[in-house]
Amino acid sequence: MSLFVASLGFGLVTAAVLAIASVGFTLQFAVTDVLNLAYAAIMIFGAFIAYAVNQAGQSVWLGLVVAVAACALISVLLNVGVYAPFQRRGTAPITMVIVSLGMTLIIEFGVQAVSGGTAVSYTMGNGPTLQAGGLNLTGVQVVIMVLAVLVMAAVHGLLRYTKLGKAMRATAANRSLARNCGIRASRVITATWAITGALCGLAGVVFAIDAGSFDATSTDIFLILILAAVFLGGPGQAYGAMLGALVIGLATEVSAVFIPADYKYVVAFVVLLVMLGVRPTGLLGAPA
Amino acid sequence: MNSYYTLNLIIYAAVDAMACLGLSQQFGVAGVTNFGFIIFQAAGGYAAAILALPGDHANGGFQSYIGGWNLPFPLPWIGAAVVGGVLALPFTFLVGRRLRGDFAAVGLLVTAVLLNLLVTNYRPVLNGDAGLSLIPAPFAAPGFSTTSSGYQWAFAAGAVVLTGAVLWLVRRITFAPYGRSLRAMRENDTVADSLGKNLLSLRTAMLVTGGAIAGLSGGILVSYISTWSPAAWGYAETVVLFAAVIIGGAGNHLGAVLGAILVPVGFEEITRFIPTSNNLPPNLVPSLEWVAIGLLIVIFLWVRPQGILPERKRFIRLPPSADGGARGPARSPGTAAVTAGHGQPAVVLEARDVVREFGGVRAVDGVSFSVRKGTLTGLIGPNGAGKSTLLAMLAGTLATTSGHVIYEGRDITGQPAFRRARGGLVRTFQLASEFKRLTVMENLLAAVTGNRGDSLRGAVLGRRYWRADEEAAIRRAAALLERFGLAELGNAYAGELSGGQRRLVEIMRALMAEPSMLLLDEPMAGVHPNLARRIGAELVALCAGGMTILMVEHELAIMDEFCDPVVVMAEGRVLAEGTMAQLRGRSEVVEAYLVG
Repeated sequence: MSLFVASLGFGLVTAAVLAIASVGFTLQFAVTDVLNLAYAAIMIFGAFIAYAVNQAGQSVWLGLVVAVAACALISVLLNVGVYAPFQRRGTAPITMVIVSLGMTLIIEFGVQAVSGGTAVSYTMGNGPTLQAGGLNLTGVQVVIMVLAVLVMAAVHGLLRYTKLGKAMRATAANRSLARNCGIRASRVITATWAITGALCGLAGVVFAIDAGSFDATSTDIFLILILAAVFLGGPGQAYGAMLGALVIGLATEVSAVFIPADYKYVVAFVVLLVMLGVRPTGLLGAPA
Repeated sequence: MNSYYTLNLIIYAAVDAMACLGLSQQFGVAGVTNFGFIIFQAAGGYAAAILALPGDHANGGFQSYIGGWNLPFPLPWIGAAVVGGVLALPFTFLVGRRLRGDFAAVGLLVTAVLLNLLVTNYRPVLNGDAGLSLIPAPFAAPGFSTTSSGYQWAFAAGAVVLTGAVLWLVRRITFAPYGRSLRAMRENDTVADSLGKNLLSLRTAMLVTGGAIAGLSGGILVSYISTWSPAAWGYAETVVLFAAVIIGGAGNHLGAVLGAILVPVGFEEITRFIPTSNNLPPNLVPSLEWVAIGLLIVIFLWVRPQGILPERKRFIRLPPSADGGARGPARSPGTAAVTAGHGQPAVVLEARDVVREFGGVRAVDGVSFSVRKGTLTGLIGPNGAGKSTLLAMLAGTLATTSGHVIYEGRDITGQPAFRRARGGLVRTFQLASEFKRLTVMENLLAAVTGNRGDSLRGAVLGRRYWRADEEAAIRRAAALLERFGLAELGNAYAGELSGGQRRLVEIMRALMAEPSMLLLDEPMAGVHPNLARRIGAELVALCAGGMTILMVEHELAIMDEFCDPVVVMAEGRVLAEGTMAQLRGRSEVVEAYLVG
């Protein structure tokens, strides 16, 4: 029982990390129409930026801020330099995915070339341990969860109440119609790359904090979790991704109580394949 | 350059070329993007290993695995191909008509990542992370040296011959009518579906064929290197093969072979010449290799997306125009309009209370009407009336939310588009839908049903098996081209034609399917008025020959001249039905459409 409750705690932390990553991924896909598989590579890029700041004797939290900015920048550049030119040429979606796989290799192994390929850890304290009803959480884990809740609230506020958020939703629904309605779609898309890139960087650093030690290829498997969460809720659905992240995060960690921890990703994988096969528009998307 | 080095190079090149041929067949020819390709090679490798190895207690039992049947050559290689092919079957649910190609590709990629993780972590079945070793080479036996240079050369020759055989096979498939169907599916799967191509069956066949080829390549590889472990088949290895196929030229099999030599083999060779230095970080060179592969993919897709050796154009020699333009439809179904009961022609197609909702909006809101045999029925209505949606539901491209579609007396509501097309109910599309990288002639031939060469079996049996069908189809296509005045463009790529010419190609293509009923979605949009008039006259002639046509059109002049009766739709409903003269007299129709 206590193991179960403890795994629930881990599940909530994983869900928090996953929620930040998935919401960024799904918004990016919805507005820009790029299924950007390099997202996980940019996450680990962010994690290593924070590591560099941390190695320079600064706090990880300062590193987090730098990583968020760096990932927002690299995402915008990735769009301007690579994806947007391909899209302007009318490249098929499947070819865009191949391009994004190529970018994955470039970024992920570029990071590995610089970092050396060994696993590293941040130098940081875990904060006081909090106990509540059998849940054992470190202060840092609580901070991650609070961050996730804040991010979700911010995304909700953005989409719901700001002009930019409404423009993003309009662009996602129908880009050419949005353009005809006077929305400057290219600006909205650039802003989306910046915002989702920032979320990606944030997710990368909290992922690395949560993982303890990480190397350049650590997010390869995390991408499965992101995709599972995104497709569970429905690709392009921000609230769907939040729901998906909660379900997948809890399911993977709780399943680790019953099956060897090495196989905990199987749950996410099965969810993803079932969703792809049965209802590719996800739980919150309209049926095809 | 010693002979061991040369041999090594030849065998690796053969194995990589074989794998690239399988991938090129899937991706380049059929447009099936299999990001999990490497797991099929991996499966073949493991299958060959456990078939050839003795039981896992051998050699002191230092490795554990299932099987260990100690089977003689060539059974391990045959097993490798079979396992690679069979492994493809569970994935067929990803490649049906429902799922977008890029989502299916993601599913396969994720499968590759996860299977690698599972095999790495689970030791009992395939010895986990450490992998299998001491895998016997073919004919290995005590007293028989598998390290002699003669044996090694024979092995290399065998690998090259098998790769040649695979090349022969995939070319035979691709150059048959079946290959044309595959390429049509690659160009536009919705349209291929509407022309009677069973997408699920085509894609399954390609997954299995490519899987078997990949499996065989894996089997050959493990027999040579005698070890096989998860590190050899990470997901990124698939990307290397994709890089090879894209750089060599997707859709061109010799390009795939060239790509295999340039990318996987070439990279291995180039990095041998990088001096090793203790000053460099340990992972630098391998990491940079991956970066280079990524760069190559992105740069090639930008600079030369068709690859070094692009897909070759298939020239088809047109037979001399013998019968002076072949009047009348090439082979008209039936002769005179069949009449039922009251002297009115029989109903061919009927919609009963057909409804289609898009997220709460009723685009088509309970439409009932029928089309009678031999008529050229018009369907008009303002923008957003639901005409194209209705047409798509009649053709099966779009599912109905509720209601029934009856065709020739049978309820076909649940039938997929390809079955309706095979039953003679063929549609065209409002937007240009020609298969761009097929020639005009090939576009027409792709619609022919019942060609003996249009199945995997027929394709493998070879040209002699299907030549007669093909020649008959070419004659029919040539006659149509002649009739519509496009004879000289038969060997031009359809993507290079003008807008009006493309509309013609589409109509001719639909006719090649020998429909008994045609559903035309604005066939004259963007066509020169003179040409539109000619198309109209041809359609009237077809109807006189017994064909039934339902045509969505905006031009009232065309409706006036050719269509009788005309159905008017507005806001998802049928507003009125009758001749144009009658309709002009009805105020609600005039209000909804004719004036506004």
